[in-house]
Amino acid sequence: MSGALKKRLSKIATWIATFLLMIVMGVPGLWVVLSAFRPNREIMAKPAIWIPENPTFSNFAAIFGFGDAQVAIPVLSYFTNSMIIASTSTVIALMIGMSGGYAFARFRFRFKNSLFLGLMLSRAVPGIALSLPVFMIWSKLGLIDAKLGMIIVYVALNVPFTIWLIDGFFRQIPKEMNEAAQVDGCTRWQAFWRIEFPLARSGIAAAGVFAFLTSWNEYALASQLTRSTDSKTLPVGLMDFTAQFTIDWAGMCAMAVIIIVPALILTFLVQKHLIAGLTFGGVKG
Amino acid sequence: MRWRAEKHTPFLLLSPAILTILFVVAIPLAFSLYTSMTPYKLTKPDTINTFVGLRNYVRLFSDDKFWWAFGRTILFLAVALNLEFILGLGIALLINRITWGQRTLRTMMMFPMMFSPILVGFQFKYIFNDNIGILNNALQALGITDGSIAWLVDKPLGMISIITAEVWMSTSVFAILLLAGLFAMPRDPLEAAKVDGCNPWQVFRHITLPFLMPFAFIAMTIRSLDVARAYDIVDVMTGGGPAGRTEVLWTLIARVGYDNSKMGEANAMAYVSTLLSVAFTYYFFTKLVAARRYMGGAE
Amino acid sequence: MKHTTLKLLAATALVPIGLTAPALAGDFDGYTLRVKLIGGAQYEPLYAEIEKWEAETGATVDILSRKNHFELDREIKQDIAAGTLDWCVGSNHTSFAPQYGNIYRDLNELLDPAVLAEFQPLALENSTVDGRLVQLPRHSDISNLYYQKSLYEDEDNKAAFLAEYGYELAPPDTWDQVKDQALFFANPPDFYGTQYVGKDEAITGRFYEMLVANGGALFDEDWNPTFNSPEGVMTVQWFKDLYDAGAVPAGVMNYLWDDTGAGFASGTVALNLDWAGWAAYFNDPDASQVAGNVGLVRAPKGAAGIRSGWSGSHTFSITESCDNPEAAASFITFLTDHDRQMVEARTGLLPTRQSVWDAVKAEFLAEGNEFQAMVSETYAQSMAEDAFTPPLIEPWIEVSNEIWPALQAAILGEKSIQDALDDAAEAAGEIMEDAGYRN
Repeated sequence: MSGALKKRLSKIATWIATFLLMIVMGVPGLWVVLSAFRPNREIMAKPAIWIPENPTFSNFAAIFGFGDAQVAIPVLSYFTNSMIIASTSTVIALMIGMSGGYAFARFRFRFKNSLFLGLMLSRAVPGIALSLPVFMIWSKLGLIDAKLGMIIVYVALNVPFTIWLIDGFFRQIPKEMNEAAQVDGCTRWQAFWRIEFPLARSGIAAAGVFAFLTSWNEYALASQLTRSTDSKTLPVGLMDFTAQFTIDWAGMCAMAVIIIVPALILTFLVQKHLIAGLTFGGVKG
Repeated sequence: MRWRAEKHTPFLLLSPAILTILFVVAIPLAFSLYTSMTPYKLTKPDTINTFVGLRNYVRLFSDDKFWWAFGRTILFLAVALNLEFILGLGIALLINRITWGQRTLRTMMMFPMMFSPILVGFQFKYIFNDNIGILNNALQALGITDGSIAWLVDKPLGMISIITAEVWMSTSVFAILLLAGLFAMPRDPLEAAKVDGCNPWQVFRHITLPFLMPFAFIAMTIRSLDVARAYDIVDVMTGGGPAGRTEVLWTLIARVGYDNSKMGEANAMAYVSTLLSVAFTYYFFTKLVAARRYMGGAE
Repeated sequence: MKHTTLKLLAATALVPIGLTAPALAGDFDGYTLRVKLIGGAQYEPLYAEIEKWEAETGATVDILSRKNHFELDREIKQDIAAGTLDWCVGSNHTSFAPQYGNIYRDLNELLDPAVLAEFQPLALENSTVDGRLVQLPRHSDISNLYYQKSLYEDEDNKAAFLAEYGYELAPPDTWDQVKDQALFFANPPDFYGTQYVGKDEAITGRFYEMLVANGGALFDEDWNPTFNSPEGVMTVQWFKDLYDAGAVPAGVMNYLWDDTGAGFASGTVALNLDWAGWAAYFNDPDASQVAGNVGLVRAPKGAAGIRSGWSGSHTFSITESCDNPEAAASFITFLTDHDRQMVEARTGLLPTRQSVWDAVKAEFLAEGNEFQAMVSETYAQSMAEDAFTPPLIEPWIEVSNEIWPALQAAILGEKSIQDALDDAAEAAGEIMEDAGYRN
């Protein structure tokens, strides 16, 4: 066997091994996705029914209120709420993160290190410790069951990590580039948008994906602060499938698919930036 | 450097971040610090006006249940984070070697990150169900066991099941960050080591791993930041039971605070738990800073 | 305690204050009634009727939240804490109601006594806390024993059972028989004799009802915990024996109602004490493997000859802070009137008006649905004769949170039964003391 062939074979073997590993890792998730297309009776059967006997869209139909389902789940409002809340809070967190990250990367000032650490540690406070006080303050301000209330919370949740990642990114970019641009007659603001921002794009994209996924999937705080279709998000909507005595697992799986697909598409699209962003952003700060 | 002279600019730039954190984290935290020194009961709002000093904390110190939950939480964090690191590293190393179809594999790798923690809880509750769960059904069908394993009840298995769910959900975060680290890795030292006759293990041990450590610490920091997300998982899967075998701080706090309405006591626990998270995060953060210095990236 | 509440009920009924007349068209034109309702598939058909009330009265109903009960409970506690009780009608439950203090109105002062008289007296009595009718029962619940009929018709089973236990195999009438038969039918991991819920208030409730059936009590008259009595130990022993013998699924200690329901429907369990709402599900060929094979008998008796009958009602309450109590009263009266209760009763929920019990049974018979007619008959009996609620005390959930981990520890063998119950009794005693029930 020639060396080249051997190398090629080992490459293929690695590929297959990795692929299989990914499948195995994906099984618990795939099971959820497949269950979305099966009736409860089949999922909960014993002995187990491995190959779907009655593939069906009825779980989805039930969510949208078609067919013989008694109640539609207001999935459209949940979806809209989730979209608005997750994307708005991501955009705001990124803007705050850019401004804060830029400050940390480009300026020297008093308390810099403790401020940085303080921002990071704020994220370490468990949601359960915050939920009641936040609730009480929010209710005084009329932010309960409002999208704005959720957006503010999620911005705070995401700001520390975005600052960190973006800070690392700006440090990568030599200060001289900005200064050169200013010499050429740009204002500092213009120099930022023309020179530094494009270079930091990957880092911002990576921070954005993490922020979006966090907001998109968050449950604990959302379940406390949202109440009706005005603000309930998709993960909170999952609980609509539980009643005092029953859990409609198949329905929940169908809803899960509705939650997962947009997140998956987004991740796939920004893949390239994600890796590049993490590569440079995190470490060399 | 004329901009260094602009003394207030950095604070101006940072003010939105500081204000947000102040508003959403610091003020509520001050409020809960105060309530932790009252016998505050949710259903009796007046109790918030009675100040009892450190009584709730003193009670905690002699409360076995609390300390068991505390210890179990540390165990949970330590085991889960280390497992996630090791598995994530393995996956990253494998994917790094692949050139064709890597984008698809990377998306597959990130698949579990799309799952909301609450969903992960339900999912593994059903997978680990002793009677109709797919895991036991599969084990029985394959003839590996003829019994029914009570995954969520037996003493070590309960914690193991919960850790499995947590690891499944979060290994991707490690894998993606470590993969990013591998991408950033300079080729020269690797080539040089090979020329010097190092075997692959030595190369990995002395060159790749040290280079990756900062990335690992970033991942650890990120994870320890939001590890309390695991509350949703534990709550759905076992609720801390049976007989407190899987009780962690978060489930205990939620039960005392909301089910029993004793918010004062719960907030005292929450404060101790906050200190624990902060300590974990701080530890990884200092490690990270040290590793960054080592890499020569720091200012 | 029962007698005093009855007397109070009678007394308040005699002196009605500020009664509402039945709502007429346009009575509440332009008013928006803010409500919080329990959500979930089995509760929703009733909400489809709300439009009719809106059309009748001209009011609009704004459903502020629709969540399952535990989340709703949390939300209401948050509202109390934050002082945001800016709504009128809330779903409530007999087990939860005592916690909420005085946020809800006494309906004796608000509703027409003639309307209240149409409800079953026991349902109203169980909805009364400290002499105040804080909630109007919407439907009730109680458990009876489901079984797989074919097992009891099998001649081999009959012969083998008689030989082993010395009496005829028939659907059980006592908890001892349940145990015998569960042990007899069990063939783990493929088949189980019975099952029970293993955590939260669920197992506290099961323990409590069997404790009563065995002649014990949770508390004495002075609110001293007494569940660590010999009757208490005997009750826990029953759970433990079945667990140790593998006659129940190995995971029961983590089961809640959805697990037991799914388990019986999967055809792998012989006997299953469960709620009324499950009957239709168990007998539905699309949902259940035991459809057509489901038998039902009343909940068995304990050592004291009492049937276990842990019961509760889903209810509606009106807040003290409500700005239009007349509209709220009209709304909850509408949602619990004869026709509305028929809507729920047809789906298998247990009505709180005597007239509905009779009408729905007649309807099932007319349709030829003998199974549901039988179910209705059985549950009507147990609601009338066996039902009792947990103690209607403010710290009930808190006491329950001490009891159930102790039960788990005892059943799993981490502590002896006596030790586990003693510890829980001590903790419960302290809670009762803190809450001011005991000095």
